[in-house]
Amino acid sequence: MLKIWTIISIRLKEFFKSPGSLVLMFVMPALFSWIFGGIAVNSEQSKPLVNIVLKGDSKVNTEIVKLLKKDDHFEWKMESRSQAEKNVAEQDALAAVVLPADIGERVRVKKPIFDVIVQRKSEDYLALSGFLEGTAALVVQSYQATLQFEDEAFPQVLAAITTSKGVTVEKQMIQKDTNNLVEINLLFVGFAIMFMMFGLSGAASTILDERIGGTWGRMMVSPASKLQISLGYLLAYFCMGWIQLAVLMTTMNLLFSTTWGKLLYFIPFASLVILCVVGFGLMIAGIVKTKQQASAISAVLIVSTCMLGGVYWPIDVVPEVMQKIALAVPQTWAMAGFKEIISGSLHTGTLMKDLAALLGFTILFMFVGFRGIKFE
Amino acid sequence: MSMLTVQDLQKSFGKFEAVKGVSFTVEKGESFGLLGPNGAGKSTMINMITGLYPPTSGEIHMKDIDVIKSPKQAQKWIGVVPQEIALYQSMSARENLRFWGRMYDLSGNSLEKSIDQVLEIIGLTERAKDKVETFSGGMKRRVNIGAAILHKPELLIMDEPTVGIDPQSRNHILETVKRLNSEGMTIIYTSHYMEEVEYLCERIGIVDYGQLIASGTLRELRESIGDHSRIFLTIEKDHLSEEKLTKSLLGFFPEKNFELQDHQVMVFHKEPQLILSDFIQLVTQTGTKITSVNIVEPNLESVFLHLTGRKLRD
Ligand SMILES: Nc1ncnc2c1ncn2[C@@H]1O[C@H](COP(=O)(O)OP(=O)(O)OP(=O)(O)O)[C@@H](O)[C@H]1O
Ligand SMILES: [Mg+2]
Repeated sequence: MLKIWTIISIRLKEFFKSPGSLVLMFVMPALFSWIFGGIAVNSEQSKPLVNIVLKGDSKVNTEIVKLLKKDDHFEWKMESRSQAEKNVAEQDALAAVVLPADIGERVRVKKPIFDVIVQRKSEDYLALSGFLEGTAALVVQSYQATLQFEDEAFPQVLAAITTSKGVTVEKQMIQKDTNNLVEINLLFVGFAIMFMMFGLSGAASTILDERIGGTWGRMMVSPASKLQISLGYLLAYFCMGWIQLAVLMTTMNLLFSTTWGKLLYFIPFASLVILCVVGFGLMIAGIVKTKQQASAISAVLIVSTCMLGGVYWPIDVVPEVMQKIALAVPQTWAMAGFKEIISGSLHTGTLMKDLAALLGFTILFMFVGFRGIKFE
Repeated sequence: MSMLTVQDLQKSFGKFEAVKGVSFTVEKGESFGLLGPNGAGKSTMINMITGLYPPTSGEIHMKDIDVIKSPKQAQKWIGVVPQEIALYQSMSARENLRFWGRMYDLSGNSLEKSIDQVLEIIGLTERAKDKVETFSGGMKRRVNIGAAILHKPELLIMDEPTVGIDPQSRNHILETVKRLNSEGMTIIYTSHYMEEVEYLCERIGIVDYGQLIASGTLRELRESIGDHSRIFLTIEKDHLSEEKLTKSLLGFFPEKNFELQDHQVMVFHKEPQLILSDFIQLVTQTGTKITSVNIVEPNLESVFLHLTGRKLRD
């Protein structure tokens, strides 16, 4: 145990003493995130689509639609019921709001005014439902207030509300949880993953230097067992990965007040991703002979797989074929999993699939890595 | 029970046979030297004994432990000074010693005490906090040795530990090793400096082309070549009529115990004083001008030369 810890601590010490790796692991990703994050925050990103289904063509409903469209965080589109259901099922639309034919009846029997069709309860959806509840409350109040007047009064009140500033309060309330924040957070995570891959494969390739430098051989002829040595290196790189991620997460949190979803999910998932990256580094170290070769090969591999795996841009913007090919790189699964966690949708089936895939990659990488690394 | 027994040890790298069936024994408390030129296979033998390379065939036993089957057990008793400096350059001397001490199961107070002692022995107490990369080659060598003796090994294996060190540091190291040996530590020492091996080692194995071509005490080795001294005669080439000289030398030394090379005549002889004047006269008579005469008492160099026909170092 002491030997393992000794190896971990000397690895970490050496690592934090080398300025190159510090730049790679902390400064670069922070810089990239800051620049690209800034751009992303300022640019109009695509808004989540919400479908509206009208059950009847009343004046009241026309006014309600206007009222809903006041929230410009979502893109509102009228659809038929069946089309809307399809859109939601295929995740083309975040949700569909169904407006009833007769609001008065709904109020009388004390049922919710809007029916909502939804697939995943993501953070976007939470923002939407907050807004819908507020709107519904307004509609109900207006209805009750105009009960003793003539029928025309109700839509008139609604129209008045639409033109007044009342709803903007709601908008500010939900501003923090806007949709594109998830994308931006994913961008940060993506950069963290990429630079972690660079950093850790660089760190793992010091094994090659150590072999030439003789410390590796010296360790082999000490009473430390292969298992202890392997665990020492493995855990050391794992720690490096976590330190990097933790620092970046905290920095991004302070800079952009980003959220990372439920930590209960985030931490174990990130741990597996880091382990997978460590495996990747060990694999590179195991198949090449010199550190130069390692850095050349890993640069090519990392950049290309990150492109494929949707680290630089959301994977759904690339052609179908590419998305299929992308399944063969671990980043795809890592990003998909992080998306589930950060968006808050936490769809168990998807998460399980991502976890299983990553676990597979990790085992494969470690296997190749440890077979390639010569213990002599 | 012997400290170390090596039997028919053989190692091939691909088609190349670096060690060709070597056997020897090292007793407890002994200091055993492996002497041989570059590429003879010394390091390869050492690396097999320490468990770094698996041998192609053969057996290695340390006490009653089979080193090939259970290297980790034997490695606890062994201290290794690798030929190349094997240290973490960006760490201080003390940090390096601490790291390697822990690898050998030392910890806490006893480790720190051990480090202090070793720093004293290698004469680097003052520089303990400096990074190894700022050290001179000799200082690095000394840390390299220090890391091997922290855990007070029963068997200390040193692979050319003094390469590239100034004579002063070298003497210091040799004295240290000698003292460790006199305190009971068994030593295996490889070198291509015969003076070092002569000074340090009670028993010596001579290695050439992967084979142990002779072994024994210094005296035994000398006697094996008949305790011959060598007479070196440097001559001037202008006056050299090689044929004539060879002919008269053959007359004088019918057993052909001489060699003629460019400017030099070398003669093996048990009692050089007896023949010296006659020999000089003979050479002069052929019209050859002699510029220097030198008599070398038998040493490991002459043993090696005698056995292989080559010098230990060119
Ligand atoms: N890992 C290896 N792969 C291939 N050949 C090797 C390897 N290690 C050693 N050799 C070869 O084995 C032979 C013996 O090498 P070794 O290092 O044992 O010599 P040595 O006696 O220690 O020499 P030196 O005094 O120069 O250290 C050399 O010809 C060397 O090229
Ligand atoms: Mg050698």
